[in-house]
Amino acid sequence: MSAGNSKYKKVAYYPGCALEGTAHAYNRSTKAVGKKLGLDLVEVKDWNCCGAMEVKNVDPKIQTYLSSRVMSIAANEMDMDVVMSPCNGCYHNLKKAEYELANDQDTVDVVGQLSKDAGHANYEAGQVETIHALDWIKEAIGEEGLAAQVKNSLSGIKIANYYGCMYTRPRHIFPEKDAGPGSESTLKPHFMDDLLAAAGAENVEFPLKTACCGGAHTLSDSDMSTRLVLNILRAAEASGAEVIATECPTCHTGLEMHQVRAEEVLGEKTNVKILYFTQLLGLAMGLKPRKVGIQENISDSMEFLKERGLA
Amino acid sequence: MPIHEESLIRPENLTTQENLVIDGIDVSGHWSTFIESRVITDYNEDIQDEIAALPGGELIHRCWQCGSCTNSCTVNEVNPEFNPRHWIYLIRTGMESELIRDKDIIWQCVSCNKCTYACPRDVFPEGVMKATAHWLHMKGHTPKSPSTIFDEVFTEQVVATGKIEEGRTLRRFLQRTGQSLFQGWIIAMTKLMVRHLPVGMLTRMGLSAVVAPRTRGWSQAGKALQNYIDEREAEHHQALNLTAGAVATEREEG
Repeated sequence: MSAGNSKYKKVAYYPGCALEGTAHAYNRSTKAVGKKLGLDLVEVKDWNCCGAMEVKNVDPKIQTYLSSRVMSIAANEMDMDVVMSPCNGCYHNLKKAEYELANDQDTVDVVGQLSKDAGHANYEAGQVETIHALDWIKEAIGEEGLAAQVKNSLSGIKIANYYGCMYTRPRHIFPEKDAGPGSESTLKPHFMDDLLAAAGAENVEFPLKTACCGGAHTLSDSDMSTRLVLNILRAAEASGAEVIATECPTCHTGLEMHQVRAEEVLGEKTNVKILYFTQLLGLAMGLKPRKVGIQENISDSMEFLKERGLA
Repeated sequence: MPIHEESLIRPENLTTQENLVIDGIDVSGHWSTFIESRVITDYNEDIQDEIAALPGGELIHRCWQCGSCTNSCTVNEVNPEFNPRHWIYLIRTGMESELIRDKDIIWQCVSCNKCTYACPRDVFPEGVMKATAHWLHMKGHTPKSPSTIFDEVFTEQVVATGKIEEGRTLRRFLQRTGQSLFQGWIIAMTKLMVRHLPVGMLTRMGLSAVVAPRTRGWSQAGKALQNYIDEREAEHHQALNLTAGAVATEREEG
């Protein structure tokens, strides 16, 4: 196996609420891929919700507190240096909390007081490094290491890589991005493209990589979400993609739900398959569809995967 | 000033005479269209400060009206009436009645943060949209938007248990907004989910619908958060000069 960066071979794993519910397939496939690659995931003890996209609208500092509690447990109770989250929302909120706690004294005071009242150690900026599942595989294993593990190449499968909003915006909470060669780009992200290409896939030129799926209003403004999702699905099909690879449970569920809703409500049918990038990597490494939770997806891709010799 | 004019040229400000002859010249129809003059007297000089006192609105004063937010906006692409740059202008000039014309769509911001990415002045327009939506319902101009109700249902659950169980959030949201759980697309989706799910997963989902997942040792954190939320809410009402009575009604509705 390739050298990789040993710092990321054992990380604190923060699945978050969605991965215990609608996005269980992402949880299952992330763990299965980690195991197959010999990486060690230690789940954060007694973790709580990061605040998602909703709590900040009640009060942003509560959201920062919620995220800081997760990092505090990883740092102070588990003595971990790195927290890995596959969920864009969790990843985004932990990064944002990190930024706020490093730059805003008011937030430091409020979070300090809330931590004291809640009876646990306060989190101080810099105690842990938060990474996404994409960073995790890219750093700990790398493309070459991954390619060496591929049993069923994804060759010939045309994939549109969809990253969504929270992985790249706003830019200031991701200081490590846009940092020169090799770093992730906030305007045209490529880490998922890189990993899937290493597994043999043919990535299509997809202009809506960081478009919004309307996930924040999936239920409260369903018509808007359906229109935004339909736009993404159609653009993917127009780009020649057979599969949209996702790395966010909100985007993934939003695409699946509104693919159904677009057909039910607007009579607009699209056929592009929607799969988590970890499901695709797992299948490429020879894992069975059940091991990566294909049966847990809303959209049915079994037949397609069988046709392509992946199931 | 082109920006100012936009709010003046609305269908209701345009007058057209069907039949009009002036000095023997027929100017019927669109030849006689003119924009009625208006005098704005209802400037609300407090509105910018009020919105700046709500979470997200703090940096509105930095805006220099470049329009990058509207230009990059996801919702604007679907609905051209959704115009953050214009609303920030109206708030900064105190044109409350003009702002209120758009009261029913301001909450539709999807928080994609393309505006935040594009803004050269770090105004944080996404936050300003949220603060403005809150301001509108706190002042009684609109009922709470579905988005605000969703935020509240969600936050209540996190404060109570430390975690979210999506089925519960969905049911409470539909209940509080008076919608049916049995909408065609929700049924279609549930059928798809049930078709492929193994028995173990179904049991787990069923169980979590009955027993909400909880973070162990959460109660003390939950109490601390509830206290903080109550304090902040009182501060926000004070900033908007709402009376104690208004605060009580607000809570009862929530």
